Amino acid sequence: MKKKFDFSVLARSKVTWAVVAEALILLVCLFVRPDFFSISYQPTTEMLYGNLIDIVNRSSEITIIAMGMTLVIALGGTDLSVGALVAVSGAIALKFLRWDVTIYNTPGDYTVYPFILVLVVPLAVCTLMGLFNGFLIAKADIQPIIATLILMVCGRGIAQILTNGKQFTTQYSPFRVIGQGSFLFLPMPIIITAIVVAAVALFVRKTAFGTFVEAVGINRKAARLSGINAQLIIFIVYALTGFLSGISGMIYSSRIMSNDSNNAGLNFEMDAILAVVIGGTSMTGGKFSLLGTVLGSIIIRTIVNLVYYFGIASEATMAFKAVIIAVVIVLQSEPVRNYFAKHSKARQNLVSGGARG
Amino acid sequence: MKKLLALALAVVMLMSVASALAEYKVAFSQIGQESDWRTANTDSIKAAIEGHEGWELIYDDAQQKQENQIKALRNFITQGVDVILFTGVVSTGWEEVLKEVNDEEIPLILVDRMPDCMDQIEYAAAFGGDFVEEGRRQTAWAGEYLKSIGRGEEEINVVIMEGTTGADAQVGRTKGNLAGLEAYPNLKVVAQQSGNFTRAEGQALMESWLKSIDKIDVLIAQNDDMALGAIDAIKAAGKVPGKDIIIVGCDSVKAAFDAIVAGEMNATIECTPLYGPFVVNAVEKLQAGEAMSKTLVHPEEGVYDMDGGIDLGTVVSVKAADVIDERQY
Repeated sequence: MKKKFDFSVLARSKVTWAVVAEALILLVCLFVRPDFFSISYQPTTEMLYGNLIDIVNRSSEITIIAMGMTLVIALGGTDLSVGALVAVSGAIALKFLRWDVTIYNTPGDYTVYPFILVLVVPLAVCTLMGLFNGFLIAKADIQPIIATLILMVCGRGIAQILTNGKQFTTQYSPFRVIGQGSFLFLPMPIIITAIVVAAVALFVRKTAFGTFVEAVGINRKAARLSGINAQLIIFIVYALTGFLSGISGMIYSSRIMSNDSNNAGLNFEMDAILAVVIGGTSMTGGKFSLLGTVLGSIIIRTIVNLVYYFGIASEATMAFKAVIIAVVIVLQSEPVRNYFAKHSKARQNLVSGGARG
Repeated sequence: MKKLLALALAVVMLMSVASALAEYKVAFSQIGQESDWRTANTDSIKAAIEGHEGWELIYDDAQQKQENQIKALRNFITQGVDVILFTGVVSTGWEEVLKEVNDEEIPLILVDRMPDCMDQIEYAAAFGGDFVEEGRRQTAWAGEYLKSIGRGEEEINVVIMEGTTGADAQVGRTKGNLAGLEAYPNLKVVAQQSGNFTRAEGQALMESWLKSIDKIDVLIAQNDDMALGAIDAIKAAGKVPGKDIIIVGCDSVKAAFDAIVAGEMNATIECTPLYGPFVVNAVEKLQAGEAMSKTLVHPEEGVYDMDGGIDLGTVVSVKAADVIDERQY
């Protein structure tokens, strides 16, 4: 006899509900403005052009950070410094591109320092800052929320000092490629995000790393007693999150071809945490879902684009977002999922019972 | 050793007393560094006070926190400063501390942002921008420019990219934008949304508008940063910024001048941060004991565009390329 698929498993999975939520939002879009889904080819930029592309493209910064944030949260921690690190990364990149705006007066297609430094130094600094977070949490045993608060507060200050509180602009074309270039008819940030997601997924799922993270997240002491080097795991996860924030910052600043120490990455920590939570990873740590996080990030961006596309009044925007997110979170809550799981199981029994006579 | 220390201490104290006697203390409570505009504003006032003979500047950066600013104002009182310059981070909640300043009879000069309790407190002078007029100038520039190129009768679709919802500049400029449009019945607003005053959000918003609205002729961006972000989005959609879509920004930052000279942006309405000269003038009057008017004084501001010569009633636009080298911020 063919084994029947058990829907209750599907209904219990949080990822399913993230998919349902995104599908519902898109369904509403389909009814209100069918052209929301139109995709065409834009010859001038050699890219596909459409709202769905925009949504995935603009969700890149959050998705990349949220990959690290998923592991951080799976460890039972949080990283509040990611947004500030985005600003630091952009500030360093623009610093190397422009160095001293009083000497190199107008922005142009040049870089003062070799491009390789523009790429490597911001990522290296952000990784070091991530390591600093990891040190405070693993070695000094400070609560993650407090430890990462330090860089959250002073990160933007560091970015400001690096650029003397100024906003630099550049026209350097290789730098533009990161955020505005195209590859395989897709915007470059989508490609970078795909690579990052694939790399992180392979790293955590094809090695034992993911299991170690879950073990430490569930019970650090027990993990240590069973031979897992918990400190090392924490170091790696926070350093990785710092590194990913650096990449996100490069994309952000390349999109606007400038650093914006005041606004770059503002509230990204909240969006990244939200993406992880919508994606079904529990704030208490343990099991995590990278796929869910990607979906979570896309849901957040869909809402933003929906607000723009439908011309919802700016005063109502915040409330509108809050309502949708509240609905998504409630859909995923334990009681609701259990209700649907029970319901589908009961129905299934009834149906199969009836069929067998 | 102890004697030496005491001596040194005495010398230091004496010197500070001497300097306190000689210098006229001008205290400035600034909100923090939120933008290039704010940095230029701080630099202008600081340089003007520090460069003035016989004045000593006592500066406090509140880092965007009201409690820091209240603390700073109380410190100024204990230090016995001669005059206080004040820019409030928010508009409410200043009654108590500003009344304390009044009680000590320290003259107060309000700069840039006006507290809600202005009517209930004493102040010597007030300088601030006129957001409503800036907003009016934005749409008026678009209307007049279209007339000048023979599109005065054509049906024109306008999108308004607003600043951070609820900010003084957003409220004022939106009011001005809409008021300015009344004189140009051919201009029609097809969308209004917040781009939060940042380049990134301006870009994302424009990207979306270009897909949801069939025809956009004019973009009114309530600051230059959003306009600069939008330029890239317009290019990505295969349109020519400055031609297919007319772009009017606000603030007049250096980057906007670069964009106008490059032909990618059409105009920017000035919102000057350079309050230094005004402040010096007011403090000089105070020091000399002259009477001052209590009306809110708006600094004189220009309009800069590609070709110049657009008459907006209160001001005539200036060609950006002619003055780009003089821009300080």
